[in-house]
Amino acid sequence: MIRTYLLLLLFVAISGHAQNTAVSSNEKLVYTASYNMSGILNDIAEVTMETSAVKTSKATLLRLKCTAATYSKWDNFFKIRDLYESYVNPNNLTPYLYKRDINEGNYYKNMKYTFSHKTKTVKSIQKKRNKPEEAKTISIKPGTKDIVSTIYSIRLLDYKNMSVGSRKSFTIVFDRKELKGQITYLGKETISTAIGKKECYKLAVGSSDTNVLQGNNSNLIWLTADSNKILVYGKFKIPVGNGELKIKSATGLKN
Amino acid sequence: MKKILTILALITSILTIILAVLPISNLALIPGILALLFGFMAYYVSKQSGKIKKIVPFTLWLTGVALVIISFKAIFNKSEVENTEALEAKETKFEEEAIEELEELDLEEIEIDDSELENLDIE
Repeated sequence: MIRTYLLLLLFVAISGHAQNTAVSSNEKLVYTASYNMSGILNDIAEVTMETSAVKTSKATLLRLKCTAATYSKWDNFFKIRDLYESYVNPNNLTPYLYKRDINEGNYYKNMKYTFSHKTKTVKSIQKKRNKPEEAKTISIKPGTKDIVSTIYSIRLLDYKNMSVGSRKSFTIVFDRKELKGQITYLGKETISTAIGKKECYKLAVGSSDTNVLQGNNSNLIWLTADSNKILVYGKFKIPVGNGELKIKSATGLKN
Repeated sequence: MKKILTILALITSILTIILAVLPISNLALIPGILALLFGFMAYYVSKQSGKIKKIVPFTLWLTGVALVIISFKAIFNKSEVENTEALEAKETKFEEEAIEELEELDLEEIEIDDSELENLDIE
């Protein structure tokens, strides 16, 4: 479920290298993920998206971290503790190292990607419970990103100069495969959120993998129409139903 | 008719109380409303025929209890995330490992310009 939410969130990317004018290095966004059961929305999990600076002896990178944890009332039924993180160039959010640690009930999976943009390859290491470690090198197209850096990269797009109906394509490496997706700009809309009434850019998200996103313009996200362009609301239709992602709090914004 | 309404009221009221005690308690509203509807209809039909079986007011009482539980949970139960110590420990461990792994990588490839970094709010 949470994997799907994150998959849904990822579907926007940047072709080329837009400069980072929206994502700060100490930002924290907290969301509530809800799932529609018989027409009634149930809050299932808390999703946190956090950034921080990471210093190595050679450079300072930006750590983009996403965590998903089910609310305690669900833990006895289905406990989720997922961690996704990407270490990126702070200027254009190009990923260098990506880690994913999935812990959902009895299911466990750990994935690591090391990007080499020179050779256009990704070295992956996959670990699963009671299974041997699997290493695989994947060839990628220029501009291919991981799921986390893609989610953040949507905020670097220049929506001000986009006309309604215009589209942007992107490529993401997920589960050691390249996925194609696209976003369609649907215009501006003002919505009420937990952090106030916000004028937003409304975007439709689509994927080449029809098993992930269903319907035409059924998967929508709203980004604030300011220079931070933070995701405040999302509506998703997936194979197992539909759900929402609502912002709870936002701190440490860049602008 | 009376029998069918009574059975429906009983089934929906039991379903309501089961859902009410589960985390999906707000879903109990649907069978709860149906239970009240069937319960009052069964009560009305029984009253017209002259004899009200004890099971009819029992279904109404059961539904009432379930609705109180749903209301209590909706008002007082806050959605909170607990038991995240393992996740937090993993976050710290991953960061330490990542720094080591990043040290081994050819970071020149990233082409980070320090003058551009100055514009970031890195603490």
